[in-house]
Amino acid sequence: MQDISAELAEVLQSRGLSMTLEEAVKVASFVGRMPTPLELHLFDTMWSEHCSYKSSRKLLKTLPVSAPQVVLGPGEDAGIVEFAEHGGHLWDIVVAHESHNHPSQVLPVEGAATGVGGIVRDVYCMGARVIGVMDLLRFGPPASSSSRAVARGVVQGVWQYGNALGVPNLGGDTVFHEGYESNCLVNVVSVGLVRHDRIIHSFVPGAARGTPYVLVLVGKPTDATGFGGATFASADLDSDLGMGAVQVADPFLKRVVAEANARVLDMLFERGVDFGFKDLGAGGIACVSSEMASHGGMGIELWLDKVPVSVPDLPPEVVACAETQERFGLAVPQDIAYEVVQIYNEEFELPRLYPGAGASIIGRFTSDRTYLVLHGGREVACAPVEAITEGIRHDREACPIESDVSEPSSRPVDPPSDLSSMALSPSGVSRSPLYSFYDSEVQAATHLRPGEADSVVVVPIPGCSAGLAVSGDGNPFYGELDPYLGGAHAVAEAFRNVVATGAVPLCATDCLNYGSPENPEVFWQFSRGVEGIADACRALALAGGEALPIVSGNVSFYNQSRDGAAIPPSPIVAVFGRLDDFTRARDISLKRAGDLIVLVGERRDELGGGLYYRECLGHRGGAVPSFRGGEELAMARLVLDWIGRDIVRASHDISEGGLAFAAMEMAFASGPHNGLGVRLDIACDPVLLYSETPGYLLEVGPDDLPALAGLAAPVRVIGEVVPAFSISGNGWELNLRELCEQWRDRLAAMVWREE
Amino acid sequence: MSARPRIAVIQFPGSNCEYETARCLSDAGLEGYVRRWNTPASELESCDAFVLPGGFSFQDRIRAGAVAAKERVTDSVFEAACAGKPVLGICNGAQILVECGLVPGWECGRVEAALASNHIEGRTGYLSAWINVVPGPSASRSPWLGLASSAAIPLPIAHAEGRFMFSPDVDRARLDESLATGLVYADSSGAEATGYPDNPNGSFGALAGLLNPAGNVLAMMPHPERAFNLWQVPPALPGPWGDARRAAGREELRGNPGPGRVFFESLAAFLGVSR
Repeated sequence: MQDISAELAEVLQSRGLSMTLEEAVKVASFVGRMPTPLELHLFDTMWSEHCSYKSSRKLLKTLPVSAPQVVLGPGEDAGIVEFAEHGGHLWDIVVAHESHNHPSQVLPVEGAATGVGGIVRDVYCMGARVIGVMDLLRFGPPASSSSRAVARGVVQGVWQYGNALGVPNLGGDTVFHEGYESNCLVNVVSVGLVRHDRIIHSFVPGAARGTPYVLVLVGKPTDATGFGGATFASADLDSDLGMGAVQVADPFLKRVVAEANARVLDMLFERGVDFGFKDLGAGGIACVSSEMASHGGMGIELWLDKVPVSVPDLPPEVVACAETQERFGLAVPQDIAYEVVQIYNEEFELPRLYPGAGASIIGRFTSDRTYLVLHGGREVACAPVEAITEGIRHDREACPIESDVSEPSSRPVDPPSDLSSMALSPSGVSRSPLYSFYDSEVQAATHLRPGEADSVVVVPIPGCSAGLAVSGDGNPFYGELDPYLGGAHAVAEAFRNVVATGAVPLCATDCLNYGSPENPEVFWQFSRGVEGIADACRALALAGGEALPIVSGNVSFYNQSRDGAAIPPSPIVAVFGRLDDFTRARDISLKRAGDLIVLVGERRDELGGGLYYRECLGHRGGAVPSFRGGEELAMARLVLDWIGRDIVRASHDISEGGLAFAAMEMAFASGPHNGLGVRLDIACDPVLLYSETPGYLLEVGPDDLPALAGLAAPVRVIGEVVPAFSISGNGWELNLRELCEQWRDRLAAMVWREE
Repeated sequence: MSARPRIAVIQFPGSNCEYETARCLSDAGLEGYVRRWNTPASELESCDAFVLPGGFSFQDRIRAGAVAAKERVTDSVFEAACAGKPVLGICNGAQILVECGLVPGWECGRVEAALASNHIEGRTGYLSAWINVVPGPSASRSPWLGLASSAAIPLPIAHAEGRFMFSPDVDRARLDESLATGLVYADSSGAEATGYPDNPNGSFGALAGLLNPAGNVLAMMPHPERAFNLWQVPPALPGPWGDARRAAGREELRGNPGPGRVFFESLAAFLGVSR
């Protein structure tokens, strides 16, 4: 076998494969000869960081993944948790979270659109109806024209895909930081609803051992787009892989295929047939066929000549590994496969609606555990199927780095000027110009839209009062100062957003965006981020069990600029919560003059990484707010208790900009036409006004305030709702009329100024 | 009890509001059901009315609504409209009705209007927003608007091509005289919009919805099915509907109607359904 090393090295080079020579030699030993081109491309994809988690898997095992409500944890395309009972059925929510960072940097519109297209497929293929998407975006500063162009393109890609597909946008977040100037982040989250007894798994069912099962490929005809996409996602942007690796999305075809899928699934359930269903993403047909077979304990014989293609004469490795979008694979009994194909091709007329689209039978599952691919009468791949899907592991070194913990030399306070600067900064301005591109109301289930409350609330089951609250977060300004707290606060902030709306957090998803794992300092940041997430999840179990479970997620490495500088550590977490009764959901807008503003949570001197230091003092160091699990949980319990007693009229968590900024946002949200504002009865002190120590502000009627003695969390009245559109304090007042207009529109001027 | 009137919501390839629209019809006392684009014409004959829902039929190829307007199923809708059956097009459905010449329908079947790209202040493209509309003069003769008062109806819009356009010799007086003015963008007090953002897309004559001469066909850009219930209204919305939303207790929030329900209940009343 040693003889072929030189030949392998040459093939790796000439084919632009990213696996190491050592890995290629391992492939050769699995197949027992010089690997075919298809085998090399297949293993290159399946052993890429993107697909195999070869650097991260060991640490990911430390994340808590179980809780009583969890139906399916990480491992398949999406995670599933129990949600509500209605109409004699148990309904679950299905959640998935991924990144599409590299493609979005190269081709922002297509990259972001494909990101949305890919994540909804992960939810569809568990048998669910998709009820929402979120996008969590990180761009370079809007002062840079290239960052603006990327931001505009990404937003365009997100709206063009999601709006056309008919899936509401449930918000997300957007952060500008110079570390993303040449490597933006596009994280996408999708959530769906499935009847508990109709969950579908992404592998060939056990029944296939007794009856012949075939693989049906559905959707767009295969082309060369995305060939090498997974490898691309695992490479830094300096490599010569590029635009050809970005896929092309088509929400129109997806919508029709999704409707046809629903019809096919109904038919299969009615017949009582066991089947498997999986989307085609990274690694295309090669990945879907090997994983469906391997995870079902079988092998497969794949007939590449049967795959509909839109480009003639594609080499077999391209047909097998291209990442053409809008495709699904179904493992169904052979005797029903023709009926399935007919639903797609005749009832739903896929070939008429889109040239070359449709369903075809492209292989059969076999009881040996071999992955066999035939093309033009020849064997073009033959390997043990577990070798492909089991992947490989790398142990990476971690090396700690120091961060800047210095505090500013002085902290002058001038609230009207400070609040104005923060409100008009890229971090502080309203995201409504961005939301105005997104359809947040299609499906007619949306109760609270992005920007109205700390989390978006939908009522996904008609006639059932259960509400679903979703929020996503991650603060790179914390992450760069303390990678551990960056992870912990990503969980805690999304958790608080869900709690502030009145929902009990059920589960979380994560996407871990970092630089190169081969760099020990980056790998240290990554490992600290995972620890932070794990600790926070263990501390924040509100729905029962021992942790807030992480049920799905993704790792994105190699996010770095051309000169090798890694992005700031960017763990991004989404939290999903449940309201027994959606009519209890609270938004952030002020409701009534004379109401009290109640602060939940101590204020502490921990302003590092905060909006006040950055925008008012130009200081980037300092102590980041600590994560205190016990306090966080006690505060959440209190907020939920008060909301449950119907005494809270508005509720907002304290995060960027601190208490004063949160109060101002509550006034902004109620709008100039309602003429309400806040008077803060607290000292003019930077810690009280601007510290980002976690907490909540609640609007409570003066007659409704419970006794504050003996509560498990620190609570005090700190102000009042006043009948003027302003915010004021001890010796200062800021009229909000003009500022609100600037705050509302400024992002459009920042990002869309070329239009 | 007699059978409820049956209303077909036509699903084109790329439609995406069909299910919630059918649900609103059913919740208004009718029987709303979704029918795919290749449903045989004979199955549609018994329908009492039709709705063309929102979405992106045929991927907006050529122009939004242009391909769907040429589909066989649209011929069935066209014939039903000419026979006087109520037809509502919402958003992409409105684009289809314009493209098949049912509205304004001065010469039935001839395309006499267009829905062009939004004119928005500061940017181009798609716009999601809550706006207000008021019914045009004598719009109450339409089966879709019989119960509407002259007060502002807040509704969400979500489109990239919603700006009504006509040939240069058409002015707003012509629209009003021909009874084509179905819905007009307004402010929250019900006064007709004079510019952005009350008129959110630069539509000619602040037009949000267009009627045919008989009034049975309404093509509207806003989405009434997304404002069927009070709980769908934004909490800080200006105007009486916002006030009602803010004043609502939990049971009112759960059960009270939203501003968009009037379109569906008008149809139900027109078809003789008593509530």
